[in-house]
Amino acid sequence: MFNFLTSIGYNSWILHVLLVFPLLGAVAVSLSPAALAKRLAFAVTLVEFILSLGLWWSVNTANGTMELMQTVPWIPQWGISYAVGIDGISLTMVLLTTMLMPLCVIGSYSYITEREPGYYALILVLTTGMIGVFIAMDMFLFYVFWEVMLIPMYFLIGIWGGKNRLYAALKFFIYTMAGSLLMLVAILVMVRVAAVMGDGKVSFSYFHLLQYAQSPIMGRIAPWLFLAFFLAFAIKVPLFPFHTWLPDAHVEAPTAGSVILASVLLKMGTYGFIRFAIPFFPGVAFSTFVTNTVVTLAVIGIVYGALVAMVQPDIKKLVAYSSVSHLGFAVLGIWAASIQGVQGALMVMIGHGFSTGALFFLIGMLYERRHTREINAYGGLARVIPIFSLILTVVALASIGLPGLNGFVGEFLVLVGSFRIHPYATGLATTGVIFAAAYMLWALQRIIFNKLDKPANELIPDLNRRELAVLIPLLIGIVWMGLYPKPVLDKLEPAARRYILMTKGLVVPGEDVIRTKGASQ
Amino acid sequence: MTGLDLLTPSGLMVAMLPELVVTLAAVIVLLINAWRHQTAADSRFAGMVSLAGLVAALAVLGALWRGGATALGAPNMMALDGYRFGAQLLILVASIGAVLLSLDYLERESLIAPEYYSLLLMATAGMMFLAGAEDLIILFLGLEVMSVPIYVLAAFNRKSAASAEAGLKYFLVGALASAFLLYGIALTYGATGATDLTAIGQRISAQGIETMSGLGLALMLIGLGFKVASVPFHMWAPDVYDGAPTPVTAYMATGVKAAGFLALVRVLMVGFGSAVDTWQPIVGVLAAASMILGNLVALAQRSLKRMLAYSSIAHAGYLLAAVWSGSQAGASATMLYLAAYVLTTLATFGILAVLGRGGERDVTLDTIAGLAQRRPAIAAALTICMFSLLGFPGTFGFIGKWAILSSITAEHHQFLAVVLVLTSLVSAGYYLPVIRALYMRPPLNAEIHDGVVLPGAARLTVAVGVILLLVLGILPRLAIDSADRGARSFAGTALDRAAQAHR
Repeated sequence: MFNFLTSIGYNSWILHVLLVFPLLGAVAVSLSPAALAKRLAFAVTLVEFILSLGLWWSVNTANGTMELMQTVPWIPQWGISYAVGIDGISLTMVLLTTMLMPLCVIGSYSYITEREPGYYALILVLTTGMIGVFIAMDMFLFYVFWEVMLIPMYFLIGIWGGKNRLYAALKFFIYTMAGSLLMLVAILVMVRVAAVMGDGKVSFSYFHLLQYAQSPIMGRIAPWLFLAFFLAFAIKVPLFPFHTWLPDAHVEAPTAGSVILASVLLKMGTYGFIRFAIPFFPGVAFSTFVTNTVVTLAVIGIVYGALVAMVQPDIKKLVAYSSVSHLGFAVLGIWAASIQGVQGALMVMIGHGFSTGALFFLIGMLYERRHTREINAYGGLARVIPIFSLILTVVALASIGLPGLNGFVGEFLVLVGSFRIHPYATGLATTGVIFAAAYMLWALQRIIFNKLDKPANELIPDLNRRELAVLIPLLIGIVWMGLYPKPVLDKLEPAARRYILMTKGLVVPGEDVIRTKGASQ
Repeated sequence: MTGLDLLTPSGLMVAMLPELVVTLAAVIVLLINAWRHQTAADSRFAGMVSLAGLVAALAVLGALWRGGATALGAPNMMALDGYRFGAQLLILVASIGAVLLSLDYLERESLIAPEYYSLLLMATAGMMFLAGAEDLIILFLGLEVMSVPIYVLAAFNRKSAASAEAGLKYFLVGALASAFLLYGIALTYGATGATDLTAIGQRISAQGIETMSGLGLALMLIGLGFKVASVPFHMWAPDVYDGAPTPVTAYMATGVKAAGFLALVRVLMVGFGSAVDTWQPIVGVLAAASMILGNLVALAQRSLKRMLAYSSIAHAGYLLAAVWSGSQAGASATMLYLAAYVLTTLATFGILAVLGRGGERDVTLDTIAGLAQRRPAIAAALTICMFSLLGFPGTFGFIGKWAILSSITAEHHQFLAVVLVLTSLVSAGYYLPVIRALYMRPPLNAEIHDGVVLPGAARLTVAVGVILLLVLGILPRLAIDSADRGARSFAGTALDRAAQAHR
């Protein structure tokens, strides 16, 4: 495989193609008639996925460094270039994205019935934006992708969303923008300071900034800069108490929108911590005050998210709050900065992408049949739609963290990894797993078990082949990563180790020299 | 054609060719009007002649710019440098846009008076003088030549009381502003014995800023502050923008603002460069106040035209923040942002003019609801304009905002940068509802959008504007280069020396 990929020069063009291809697809889709648009969109996303698969073999993740780096000057006057690269962390995130997109497209076939070309075109634009965020190695480029992604999501929620969609779309937009604008100022300030340190060289390159991020001048303003980055990413994660946009956006978005939000967009927050906020300012990020605050917020998020999820009458809202809880684990793992903790956090990110994505798809399918998301409107579905019920059960168990399914791997690693460092917080976080079992199983009981006492539920059809085609790939992922997560963990490990070195200020990326402690500055 | 001796008549003629062409066109249009001023065809003919004049001026300007025309010796009346050329390019683009938008608008509103175009051309000539003035007397003359025709243009719709009110209001406030400016010039002359900006700069840097020159500076800031509608000199803007015919509003929002700001930059950089510590706090306060007030009040507007009026106050605030930075980067950012703002505003008002169909004072979010279903292209264009005004990545507006932020942060003083981004966030609160109305709300009734058609000339303006916004938003190198080259004209000014001494 590797030889074949080398022979077609895969590494030299793949990242650009992954960014450009969906955009071209979006143009084509927006110009085609509705019936063709959905097929074309599916074809584009599928080809995109197949193209991206080669990354699994071609990217050398053994060093944990950025591979396939390509830099093209873009706005040289301002030191801005188009720079992309990929490491183990980006790789898994990109593959998660490209894998979900075809499923999102076919999962929308029956849900979206009006203005279809626009819908699918926006999904494709969103694909470019998401991949761009994960591979951008220039802060300007990163910021552009980070912001541009908002537009398609805003339209997806605002046009094809539920009853309260206008409010949810605006809230989503303003919250995310609020965080990122302050990050914009922080980026500019960093560049200015780095220019002073580095003989006036103005550059937005990630590595350039990383090199000067720990200089003494930067040190004085670092808390403010870190705060700006932190806010941008904490809103996206979302970390308690910045999470209030999430239930609205998730509930009102169309099914595919919720899936993309939960499975990919939230991961950008944690990705931002791992890639930018913490490596830039490890001293601030791991100061006692910040560590305590973040860990506290993460644990509050875990417990609070789970408790609130428990009392939701709306299934979609339940899953939305469960995301707050799960992502708390990811943040906890990131701040543990131990190898298990970080790997666990990354596994939570991937695992949550699969299981929550699948949950949102299942809820969407149920909604298409009964047009309600009230838990109380259901009951006894296991007898009417057994296949649906089986899949829902498996996915719910994965979400709870049942050993053998993917949710377990991540959360277990996080708990193991952070127990040594934050024992009390980890102890509290463990209750989150218990609460998760409570709200999920209770909801499961009320939806598919109990008595079949509502006549409207008696005649609903079971999953059709298209819907199975959406769910089965996710199920395979859930079981595979639960039983044999080693290949994925292997891809993540070097990058995670490198991240841990960065948190200690021991590695200068770009130079690829791991400094010994005494030699640093 | 690199060096021009401005002391010889021929050299001066060549240096002033763009202004002369525009003035000539204004006179020709006026002459044509004397015989032909009856029908719609006459009006259109006058418009076409004006267009030809403006394009010719653009060509001459381009030739001068490409030829790298500079003055031999010190220029003492009009500047002959990249900044002037850039400024005049923006002004000519704004004027061409305004003429194109007017062609069909005047017929539709049956405002058949071809004098409209000669007034517009005279104002253009005034703006070009204003933006290129090296001497305070020329600056004042330019300001007056610009303002008087615009008072008339604002009141051009004789059948509308609001238009008359707009004209009168603008005239009264404008006269006051002119008085302030003139008094400021007089005091500056009293303190330095010069009206030439370079000479003023030398005196000020030699003797420092004193009461009289300080007062002169403050009064000039007030005078120009009125013209660019910065808080607290903004009160006239909403009523005037609202009442004036829409193409005139577009012209005021783009041309007047551009000319005013570029003149302000030149006065501050060349004339008062060494007193940067004196004016920076004042400009900073004006900038912050404009950003905060403009954005907050815009939130509360129902009428889109009023909303855009307040947003233009906010944009004046962003521009003042660039001026505040008092560096070449700031001058370049001012130019770049104005370029983005001119293109966006022209396209926006072009669309607004057709949405109104005779009553654009009442164009509200309800009027445009559901437009995307019937007129997807217009809705998409307006959406791109809104994102550009919001300063969203992918549009030229973002590049402009980035340049401003970058010039502020370069001064290692982040207060204005933070105010700028926070107020930009507020602005999302009124730009997004426009997009929301276009795409996410049903139309008020089935027929409401039937008559919404962009006539040919307006369609051209909007299409070119929007395409440029997107292209320059992604590939801004050429625009940045031009702005930077223009700003480099200020190398060696008092400010530049002060900055170097500072480091």
